[in-house]
Amino acid sequence: MFELFSEMWSFAFMQRAFAATTVLSASVAPIGTFLVLRRLSLAGEAMAHAITPGVVIGFVVAGLSVTSLLVGGLVAGMVAAALTALLARKTILRSDASLASIYLIALAAGIFILSAAGSAVPLKSFLFGSILGIDDASMMLVGGVATVTLVSFAFLLRPLIISTCDPTFFEAQTKRPWLIEQAFMLLLVLNLLAAFKTLGTLMAVGLMILPATSARYWSSTITGQLGLTFFFALASCWVGLTLSYLFPETPSGPAIVLTAGWFFLISVLLGPLGFGRRWRKPSTLTSTSLAQTSNEERHQ
Amino acid sequence: MSAVLEIRNLALGYPEVTLFRGLSMDVESGSTLAILGANGSGKSTFVKMLLRLMDPLSGKLSWPDGPPKEIGYLAQMTEFDRRFPLRVRDLVAMGAWKGFGLAGRLDRVTSAKVASAMGAAGVDNIADRSLHTLSGGQLQRALFARVIMQDAPLILLDEPFAAVDQTTEAHLLTLIDRWRDEGRAVVLVVHDLSSVLDHCDNVLLLGNGEACHGSVDAILTPERLVAQNYLSKSQASWMFRASREETAHV
Repeated sequence: MFELFSEMWSFAFMQRAFAATTVLSASVAPIGTFLVLRRLSLAGEAMAHAITPGVVIGFVVAGLSVTSLLVGGLVAGMVAAALTALLARKTILRSDASLASIYLIALAAGIFILSAAGSAVPLKSFLFGSILGIDDASMMLVGGVATVTLVSFAFLLRPLIISTCDPTFFEAQTKRPWLIEQAFMLLLVLNLLAAFKTLGTLMAVGLMILPATSARYWSSTITGQLGLTFFFALASCWVGLTLSYLFPETPSGPAIVLTAGWFFLISVLLGPLGFGRRWRKPSTLTSTSLAQTSNEERHQ
Repeated sequence: MSAVLEIRNLALGYPEVTLFRGLSMDVESGSTLAILGANGSGKSTFVKMLLRLMDPLSGKLSWPDGPPKEIGYLAQMTEFDRRFPLRVRDLVAMGAWKGFGLAGRLDRVTSAKVASAMGAAGVDNIADRSLHTLSGGQLQRALFARVIMQDAPLILLDEPFAAVDQTTEAHLLTLIDRWRDEGRAVVLVVHDLSSVLDHCDNVLLLGNGEACHGSVDAILTPERLVAQNYLSKSQASWMFRASREETAHV
């Protein structure tokens, strides 16, 4: 067994894959945590599709490079985020319906351009990424995005907590509350682009959401949430990559996300805020309050 | 008492509907103002205007000592996420978030203020409890502690007693009295005619396109409450008859 791991570590492409996913885990952990807490879990998936036309146009115009991916994806992502915010603020549509409308149009446009570009586009790599074939430029992209994300979160953490927990209070405290939302969406798009190259469009959001939803079952503090989300993301990447090495037919991206899925299942069953509390000595207060909260939400 | 805010000839509403017009009044420091009115009369819109989230249709607002840097605010609970992973002490600390350092670290002085605010609001014994385990009254006490942390000259409370029991209401009213005694201006949106009004110096009654401001006794007459669509004639006569009988009994 030891020899097998030693052999795995001796390959440069595996070392790069482990390094890239470790950095990526640190970067996507806060994004995933707040996507879940802001009830935007599905919006992350929608945004991953919404940036497709930008990425495809970037590819068609400038080839498969980090720059074309970054520029095309960023432009498409920020246009989608701005249009969604505009429709939600100025028209009758709520933000989920606005984003759904925009992303469906964008996805159709992306597929249309993808088809028109013909077989030149490496579709499989685009959909599932290529973590085992990651190059220097992609490593730089992941590292750069992680740095920007973690530094930004040092400033954004408190306003994000307040705007998520009590949006009415936050709006009353700041002149431009939408700035926080837009900054968060920008970070989301950047992290999606970093994850695109490694995990692909279909799997990118998996590494953001599943570790965050798993962590939700274990911790009642935001610090614990952030730490556990990072731990689950990192463990998913390492276990997933190892599995994909041990079983060469296993694609690495889906292996990572499936591992995250296992952590989610374990968390649901054993986590103190999941079914786990049912296996323990019942705490009347906690159970009552949770039931009370659920009832209140149903009545709203 | 000095005016924190002077309102002159104010018309408030939206482009398609005017809620009321012609309001002139002062919001005074060291006083408590109750805003009362039927649904849709403009209570929450008035609060939004005080928070500078919207402009009046016409009229003049002036802040004699300059616009306050901080306005203490307790919103209605409709958008509050009770499942957010925070402890009570974190929620209370939110009141001073503008002064926090990187990643929201608290210094020793702020931590002491948080402890003091929790003590005053009666939530110090549940400081480490998660929000989702709190009752409605406990959460409202924690939100009052957050208002204490804001340390603002003007405090706006939007229906603060909507989901709390009588014991909690009585305790929170002592906090409101304390803020008034400290020289702060407290504006309180209330939905019902209740004993809360005994703690208010003035009342602003909204409804039927009018806004009437004055002392509680001068404004809350049966005739005016009916005229401004707050009570029907039969409700008003029953309520004030019952009130007279109770007074005679005492």
